[in-house]
Amino acid sequence: MSAILTEGVIKVEGTCKTCDHCTSVCPTGAITGLLGQKHKIEFKKCLNCGQCLINCPFGRIGEVSMMDQVKAAMKDPNKYVVVQEAPAVRVALGEPFGMPVGTNVKGKMHAALRQLGFKQVYDTEFTADLTIMEEGTELINRVYNAVGAVKDEHAGPLPQFTSCCPAWIRYAEINYPKILPYLSSAKSPQQMFGAVAKTYAAQKLGVDPAKMYVVSVMPCTAKKYECERPEFISSGYKDVDAVITTRELADWIKESGIDFVNLKDEEADKLIGSSTGAATIFGVTGGVMEAALRTAYEILSGQTLPAVEFKSVRGRKPVREASVDIPIKALGGKPLTVNVAIVTGTKYAAPLIEDVLAGRSPYHFIEVMNCPGGCINGGGQPIRHDAY
Amino acid sequence: MSDVKGKVLKHGDSTRTMHWVHLLCFIILGLTGIGFYWEIGFIENIFGGGANASLVHRWAGVVFLAGPLLYIFFNFNRFARFMDTISHITKDDVGWLKVMGGYLPFIKVDQVPPQDKYNAGQKMLGWLIIIGCLLMILTGFPMWLWRDAVPAVFLSLCYNVHFWTAIILILLVGGHFFLAAIHPKSRVEFSSMMLDGYIDAEISAHHNEKWFKELKQDA
Amino acid sequence: MTLFSESGGITRRQFFKGSGILLVSAVITGIFAKIGFDASAASDEYINKRIAAMYTLDEKMTLRKSHLNPEIAQIYKDFLSPGEVKPLTEKSERLLHTKYGKDIPALIEELKKPHEPGAQPGANHAA
Repeated sequence: MSAILTEGVIKVEGTCKTCDHCTSVCPTGAITGLLGQKHKIEFKKCLNCGQCLINCPFGRIGEVSMMDQVKAAMKDPNKYVVVQEAPAVRVALGEPFGMPVGTNVKGKMHAALRQLGFKQVYDTEFTADLTIMEEGTELINRVYNAVGAVKDEHAGPLPQFTSCCPAWIRYAEINYPKILPYLSSAKSPQQMFGAVAKTYAAQKLGVDPAKMYVVSVMPCTAKKYECERPEFISSGYKDVDAVITTRELADWIKESGIDFVNLKDEEADKLIGSSTGAATIFGVTGGVMEAALRTAYEILSGQTLPAVEFKSVRGRKPVREASVDIPIKALGGKPLTVNVAIVTGTKYAAPLIEDVLAGRSPYHFIEVMNCPGGCINGGGQPIRHDAY
Repeated sequence: MSDVKGKVLKHGDSTRTMHWVHLLCFIILGLTGIGFYWEIGFIENIFGGGANASLVHRWAGVVFLAGPLLYIFFNFNRFARFMDTISHITKDDVGWLKVMGGYLPFIKVDQVPPQDKYNAGQKMLGWLIIIGCLLMILTGFPMWLWRDAVPAVFLSLCYNVHFWTAIILILLVGGHFFLAAIHPKSRVEFSSMMLDGYIDAEISAHHNEKWFKELKQDA
Repeated sequence: MTLFSESGGITRRQFFKGSGILLVSAVITGIFAKIGFDASAASDEYINKRIAAMYTLDEKMTLRKSHLNPEIAQIYKDFLSPGEVKPLTEKSERLLHTKYGKDIPALIEELKKPHEPGAQPGANHAA
């Protein structure tokens, strides 16, 4: 049993300065300790989200690293190492190299990964699109079932919750097991990627999937926990072998002497590497919702969207709601008002969950992201010290 | 002027009380601060653990701020006179500083320029203590009351300023204590702040000449 | 014995010095508080900038809707739902969907069984 699964990803170091700032950023109160006392993380409650890590004023919180395994796999002639990167990585990877915050380094990121020696440089955005297809269709089925248009015993209840954030999944499993049936059954893009890489891609590439080693570059520390989960073996192997964070990738690029800032842009490899704008915005709070709405609207209505953007789901407020009228082709064009909610910051999900369990939730679809602002502010992202 | 007889009331009741309160707070603050910062077992044990030491530290900090504020409120005149004295820097003060009042063994001096109620060294110390205490209070309260609200970078700034100011203040107060209580030439002033408030007129007439000239006499 | 003491009142200059230092302290406190507020605002700004960068990336892309991604159509037609684009087939359920909480042990047992005839070589070598 992996140490990550038994002990967690995030560790407070012994030299905690007892300032007690972290307890306020922890979404679940998993950190024990009073002001003046060394703080500790209670693994049984910890979501592995890493918010405490990026907010510790003294950098005294660390994470388990899988870099050694990744480097060993790169050196192993028997391994065919491929990589995927989350949307949120590409607007933050430039920061450790002195680039202004929010610079888009998508092309340089792909180029750097090739130089590091990955055999295929794919893109998690591909499976983000796949997630929309699967999860969007699942939602449509649940809605049809709920409004009586189609009878489907397998369809889940409404509202449907998104399921791409592993910290949110763990929160639900620990605190609200009764809400689990409402979660989408779709895996996260990271995990979908591992499954299709070792089946579909391996087949197309002519690579023995037993030799394929899938690495994932994520803005998130909880993804390290996610990849270790014992149920993620759909491909017949461990779907995602290792996860490294944006910070760890930046360090690795520096160690390798790659001149990141001056790299020429490169594209991801074809097959499971191409992506859309909908996939890109997965890294932002409201992004999964908007991506899902773009597809759901067109599939349900059979029409092209008049405007591609759904600005009503965007923003920084911890809980936001919106309503979208979608004409349903299967009901002769009758409009259905779809009510959605977006939560950024797991601690804000509790009231909505309570409403759902009490049967008084007005929503059809709820997006929950653990990190304030979305994955772009994840526990694996470069740490900022801006004061002015 | 060895023919001057009598006693001078240098520091009144409220001043001495405030000084004692502040002094005791400073000791508690320093001890608890060092105790839970460096995790020194026996200090933490006095208070019952790091969390308790931190609790005592914070409330001592409240008294540390409240004491002087109350003093200023009830004794504005004395406070105003004090501020006036320590901000009044003349050639005499500069002259005193050049020889460090003759307190240093390696600087030989026959005569020191005439001084105010506080000599030039004490004036400097007064300013450093005021600035130091202000910094400690300004950085201390956010770390306690607003540790959830302020960003991490501001918190670490507060911690660093608080720590280094503490080191400097402890050194200054150490020196102040040495001169006030131990050095044979200067500890004559001890009882004027720590006990009954009086000092021999002969000493004041010599050491604080400019001030002495303005005092009124009661037979 | 002669007792010497200070006279009680204060001069105008002393009044101004006393008030002055209190005022300066208040100003310094105010400046420090402002530094705190500015730092609070600035320390959050990076999130907005990263978010803006993501939306800008979206705007610049030619394809902005998941169902229009040609590689997505390809993976469905070639692999997940041969011949058509149809989510939620049995193959998709196995590869792309999961279960939570107490349903996981049964899922693991299910996944350890061979998938179907003609499955990938080595499909039994679960983690």
